[in-house]
Amino acid sequence: MDIITLENVSYYYKTYDDDGIAAQASGVEGINLTIREGAFVALVGHNGSGKSTLAKLFNGLLVPNSGTVTVCGLDTAEKKNIFEIRKNVGMVFQNPDNQMVASIVEEDVAFGPENLGVPQPEIVERVYSALEQVGMTEYAKRSPHKLSGGQKQRIAIAGALAIRPKVIVFDESTAMLDPQGRREVLSVARELNKQGMTVILITHFMEEVYGCDEVVVMSGGHIAKIGKPSEIFADERLLEAVGLDAPRSVALAAKLKSIGFDVTDNCIDARTLGVEVCRNLTK
Amino acid sequence: MLKDVTFGQYYPADSFIHRMDARVKLLLCLLFMVGIFFVTSFVGFAFITVFLIMLVASSRVPLRSILKSVKGILVLLLLTVILNIFFTKTGTLLCKWWIFEIYDGGLYFAAKMFLRLTYLVVGSSVLTLTTTPVDLTHAIESLLKPLKVIKVPVHEIALIMSLTLSLIPGLIDETDRIIRAQKARGASFDTGGLVKRAKAFVPILIPLLVGGFRRAEELANAMNSRCYEGATKRTQMRIMKLSWRDFVATFIALLFFVTVFVVYGMSYQWNNTEWLLTNGGEWLIVNGINWLYF
Repeated sequence: MDIITLENVSYYYKTYDDDGIAAQASGVEGINLTIREGAFVALVGHNGSGKSTLAKLFNGLLVPNSGTVTVCGLDTAEKKNIFEIRKNVGMVFQNPDNQMVASIVEEDVAFGPENLGVPQPEIVERVYSALEQVGMTEYAKRSPHKLSGGQKQRIAIAGALAIRPKVIVFDESTAMLDPQGRREVLSVARELNKQGMTVILITHFMEEVYGCDEVVVMSGGHIAKIGKPSEIFADERLLEAVGLDAPRSVALAAKLKSIGFDVTDNCIDARTLGVEVCRNLTK
Repeated sequence: MLKDVTFGQYYPADSFIHRMDARVKLLLCLLFMVGIFFVTSFVGFAFITVFLIMLVASSRVPLRSILKSVKGILVLLLLTVILNIFFTKTGTLLCKWWIFEIYDGGLYFAAKMFLRLTYLVVGSSVLTLTTTPVDLTHAIESLLKPLKVIKVPVHEIALIMSLTLSLIPGLIDETDRIIRAQKARGASFDTGGLVKRAKAFVPILIPLLVGGFRRAEELANAMNSRCYEGATKRTQMRIMKLSWRDFVATFIALLFFVTVFVVYGMSYQWNNTEWLLTNGGEWLIVNGINWLYF
């Protein structure tokens, strides 16, 4: 079943030059995209390719200038639908510090359900089950700003989960994190997807794309290609044209495979590739 | 660089006072601040001293932390004492030198003023040392709730307070970063005259302001994404409950104040409206400064 459908969607930003003359800068143009329930979709693209604009269109933070965005059968352009849509599409943003609304972890996670008017005992239950899903229960009473970037993002994920959405959008949520933090966030995202959550992962790190059902490559406000990760990684000309690189370990693994090594397809970093090579050599 | 604002001056401990409801603590603290200006006799002050010793002992906050708050208003204290000694001209003249005259009334008045201000700070620091700013915010929201009837946006005020609390650490980090970035480009903040130094802060303030707006926009997006739509139908996770502690504490406090005020304070000052007027003005000024200080 399709949970999010974009039909011929365009969105333009208004920009002003030094003389104050308005001009239209492209956000996204002519986007057709459907996202199936339970899918793990990655949206990749260079800076300014329109991927974050697309993210904001998914939950009605932006409303398209033309075309329609439908979430769970509801049009995002209709004002009365907006809360129902946001209840179904959770968002995790890039900067972990700028999405904290409270100075105690559990109160921050409770913000969503409080807004929905959930009765108090159920809020507590939702907050603690969300914190457990991201493995942050022991930090419930702490102040978030002393935590690491990865931990803060996990709190932000818990904040989205407490609303009990069907889709969760990671809008470059790993861009500001160190490798450890990125691993934490990605493993939570994968785990959520296993439990049936639709996950949309927006990123410019190609190695994060691995294991997704579908990769949407964005370039200059258009969709350049939609395909399986292996198809995208194999299309070197496309990647060069949109300014992205396949992870080197993936390229090497493909070569090793072609000369008869038995390596798995998910060699997204040097460590996994190393383990695979060792396994082959000791066989 | 700066300590955790979430916990402000908070001294974590598990005591009778720590466990009290923040609303009750806040109300009793206000009562104390108003009440202390009605105490005029030294016997009254002795009573208050006993009360404060009991209060501090039961809060399990080290005396050092409390004295630190008093140190913060030391300049104000000295100024008040000196002004009162030289400008009060009641009672008998004790000594005279050039234009300075000291009367015994001035000495008494200065001593009382000193005690009043010190006790005021001790009393309010017990509140801030045993209550986290988050709890205080909740208490203020809860206590202001009746004002909703006259359309005061109580929920919004409380939200602004709590957002401020959660954004301050980030802003401090950013200020730090900007200062270092400007220093790396050769800016200097501690040389030159006052004007030059003030000007040196412009390149810090502008990026900070711009960053603040960007931050606010991102925060607004995050809040919208989490279904924020103002106070309508909103529920709260935290419930504040009065316990036996709050009733016991209120009872003891009221007993003390009633004894002190009725017996030693107001009995002979009540019909003196002039006294009330002058002291009322003074109360406003001193409490204003005190609140600014916190």
